Amino acid sequence: MSKKAKTPRPDGTLGIVIGAGMMGALLLAGLLIPWLGKYDPDEISSDQLLSPSSTHYFGTDMLGRDVFTRVFDAVFVDIGTAFAGVLIPLTVGTIVGTLLGISRNRRVNSFIGSLIDGINAFPFLIFVIALVAFLGAGLSSIILALSLVNWARYARIARTRAVVVNQQGYVEAARTLGYKPSRILFRHIIPNVSSETRAYALSDFTIVIIAVAALSFLGLGVNPPQAEWGAMIKDGANIITLAWWNSVFPGLAICWAGISVAVFSEGLTKRIGEGNQR
Amino acid sequence: MASSAISKGKPAEESSAEQKVPDKNRIALRRTLIGRFVRSLIVAFWVMFIAFSLLRFSPGDPIRLALGTEATEETVAAAKAKYGLDQPFFVQFYDYFTGIFRGDLGTSFFSDREVTEVVSMHLPVTLMIILLSMGAAIIFSIPIALSVALSRRPAVTYFFRTSTSISLAIPGFFLALLGLLLFGTVFTWVPAAGYEGNFPSNLKYLWLPALVNCFSLVPILSRVLHSSLMDTLDEEFVETGVIRGVRKSKFYWSYMLRPSLAPTVVLISYMVGIMIGGTVVMEMIFSLPGIGRELIEAVSTRDYAIVQGIVMIFGLIVVFTSFIGDLLGYLLDRRVTLS
Repeated sequence: MSKKAKTPRPDGTLGIVIGAGMMGALLLAGLLIPWLGKYDPDEISSDQLLSPSSTHYFGTDMLGRDVFTRVFDAVFVDIGTAFAGVLIPLTVGTIVGTLLGISRNRRVNSFIGSLIDGINAFPFLIFVIALVAFLGAGLSSIILALSLVNWARYARIARTRAVVVNQQGYVEAARTLGYKPSRILFRHIIPNVSSETRAYALSDFTIVIIAVAALSFLGLGVNPPQAEWGAMIKDGANIITLAWWNSVFPGLAICWAGISVAVFSEGLTKRIGEGNQR
Repeated sequence: MASSAISKGKPAEESSAEQKVPDKNRIALRRTLIGRFVRSLIVAFWVMFIAFSLLRFSPGDPIRLALGTEATEETVAAAKAKYGLDQPFFVQFYDYFTGIFRGDLGTSFFSDREVTEVVSMHLPVTLMIILLSMGAAIIFSIPIALSVALSRRPAVTYFFRTSTSISLAIPGFFLALLGLLLFGTVFTWVPAAGYEGNFPSNLKYLWLPALVNCFSLVPILSRVLHSSLMDTLDEEFVETGVIRGVRKSKFYWSYMLRPSLAPTVVLISYMVGIMIGGTVVMEMIFSLPGIGRELIEAVSTRDYAIVQGIVMIFGLIVVFTSFIGDLLGYLLDRRVTLS
């Protein structure tokens, strides 16, 4: 097949830079807002529902709180919850999946394997909602629920990968050299398995950022008055015809965060060459 | 998704010539189907077990919660006996499990509503939204994927990939809210509230939720279709088709789409899970009387029996549709190997 490349192929660096820059700017703003902000994010005032202006860049909400301050006050709540909600299942799932992939006990393997399929069968958001319902609303419940649901997806990927890695020459070589099994597992197998699960984690991060906000939007997230994007959108939804800025700016913040991760991950995939430019 | 692998082969059109499958193949086919079916049954069992054990995650006592703080020990004990909660765990599970086959998913702890009644009343609305979203997503995805695959310019592919991943990063509930603001308030194309259950008249309530769902469905669907179209384009029969000068419509269908459909069909069945999640949020925003809104209401009132029942039904729906999807994918393209 002949390749007719008229324009040079973008190698993904641009995406990595833009994505990292967008996320960095958001985190920096979240870091700086307590010092540079003119308002307290939770302070109630009589300036209710002011439209965006030079004093209140994103306007004010029903209780007279500054929306600009609150949007950036929520950065670490949203991103942090989503980050923990990805990191924990990534770690647990990679280790469990790898152990399954290299274990020779067929009975345990098919038992836990079918449990993993069972967990994965539930629609992601529905299962998280139900777990949060039983655990009680709140950010720690959301993180726990995300971990209980998502480890199975990572475990499935890790197991498939571990079976392949386990048969590679370098693992055989390490065995022949008489390394301890734990060393082989942590130094040789897991690093090679986790390259795959980490790639999935990056695309999962966008989904989890949205899921965290969606759960708060449905009233299962933070306790007021803590600022959080989903909860802010929910509060603004009833008065959206009156004061659109209450919902639109937190919504744009979620989009900004999600797009930054998506662009970054797209660039990284291209850089590594996975997916073969498709 | 990863379960389907494609190897080189003939186009669908030519392979239909060998309709007579040798006996050996038929036995292998039957064995795969039975294996796949048994596997689905095991997964379905886990789904029931997990949904049932959800109640155990609750930190408080659900019955005490339902009865309120004034309830005496006796009334609590009586209520527990009524719902069978005084039995050992596995006895309870056995009762629940056998109940499922009798069409009994338990009753609400608050009202005496039966879970099956709640499900059968509200499931049709949810299924309607899912069907509409799926249909619209397929209609949008095919031309997008086809034109990107045929253009072959790296810049177009790059733009396609970037814009689809950006579209995936936009939360559906935010988009729905903006849509409601635009089409509900500014243009008044969407009724502000209410719902009519009958088919043609319910479309005016459902078209916007379905369209919003498409923003997360079309990117996934068109990407998978695009990548399997690229695989098909590499095959020799496509070149043969070009050289033979096949009619355009025939070329698009028989030489490109038909051989590329199998992975997409399998994917659509897996996407039912994503769609259910999105639909719950849509039902809340557009106040549609679907099962998702019922779920959120049950969650906020802590009506655990209903939450448990709805979660299990959704889990079983996904198990069922993935089984059907795998079968369809297999029948559409025998080259697809079942995992």
